[in-house]
Amino acid sequence: MKKLKIGNKKGAEKIISVYWFAMLFIVAASLVYIVSVFYGKPYDIRKIEADFLADKIASCFSKNGFIKEDFSQINSNNFLDRCSLTFDTEDSFGWKNDQYYIETNFYDLNSGNLIHSLNQGNPSLKNFCNIKGENFPVCLEKTLYTIDKQNNQYQIKILSIVRKTEKNV
Amino acid sequence: MLKKKKANIITENIIFLILNLTFITILILFLFSKTSNESVLEEKYAKKIALLLDAAEPGMIIFLDMKDAIDLAKKNGIKAEEIVKINKNIVTVKLSEDGGYSYSFFNNLDFGEKSNFYVNEEKTGFVFVIG
Repeated sequence: MKKLKIGNKKGAEKIISVYWFAMLFIVAASLVYIVSVFYGKPYDIRKIEADFLADKIASCFSKNGFIKEDFSQINSNNFLDRCSLTFDTEDSFGWKNDQYYIETNFYDLNSGNLIHSLNQGNPSLKNFCNIKGENFPVCLEKTLYTIDKQNNQYQIKILSIVRKTEKNV
Repeated sequence: MLKKKKANIITENIIFLILNLTFITILILFLFSKTSNESVLEEKYAKKIALLLDAAEPGMIIFLDMKDAIDLAKKNGIKAEEIVKINKNIVTVKLSEDGGYSYSFFNNLDFGEKSNFYVNEEKTGFVFVIG
């Protein structure tokens, strides 16, 4: 009877150690999986890029709270030059400098009329703005209010879109 | 008989302990290799520099601490000066001979003419001078 008890204890210890190694294996496998998923995914910086792009455009049209006097002379043809921007991208994933789009609308705040508008970049990106999901371009809309020296009030709506999906998702 | 049994238990425990330690060491090494390997750091710094330049304004002098990347590049035989390259508006970070990650920025900064960048004297990071 005593011998049988000792035998059972040894058997139980062996089973526990098998379980212990099984647990270790499960922990290791899940850790490897989680780390691979986390670090295998690229950093998504498109939201910050879109935010910076909108800020850059805002500071291009407005300074110290005043709208620039020649804002209406900035159009789609000279916008990139005047705002010191470039939409060229690296030559990868078949990108053809078509990863950005911006649209800026100027409204008279009193009448609500659109007084000036310009856009630049790839307009087809705008079609994806209402679709949710990380595989689609990131769209960001910003509104700012400004005045001119004659105290006329303006509302400027800026839409900035960044695609670059392959490098961020 | 009792002595033999005791020795057996000690040997079993030691083997068990060694196996556990080996296992944990392998896990820690795996974590380290994943978090500080070249491709992860190349992507991290290329995107950091691109964002930093996107937000930069003329007159700014920006320092970016890249000590870990510079140390890793040194190990791989890459000089600190060769880690970051900016061609027009594309920044490339390279930490190994056959590596490299490029990312574009939209701020037209004219590197080489108005703007410039270099490794600091202590070789711990890069200084970007925006013109």
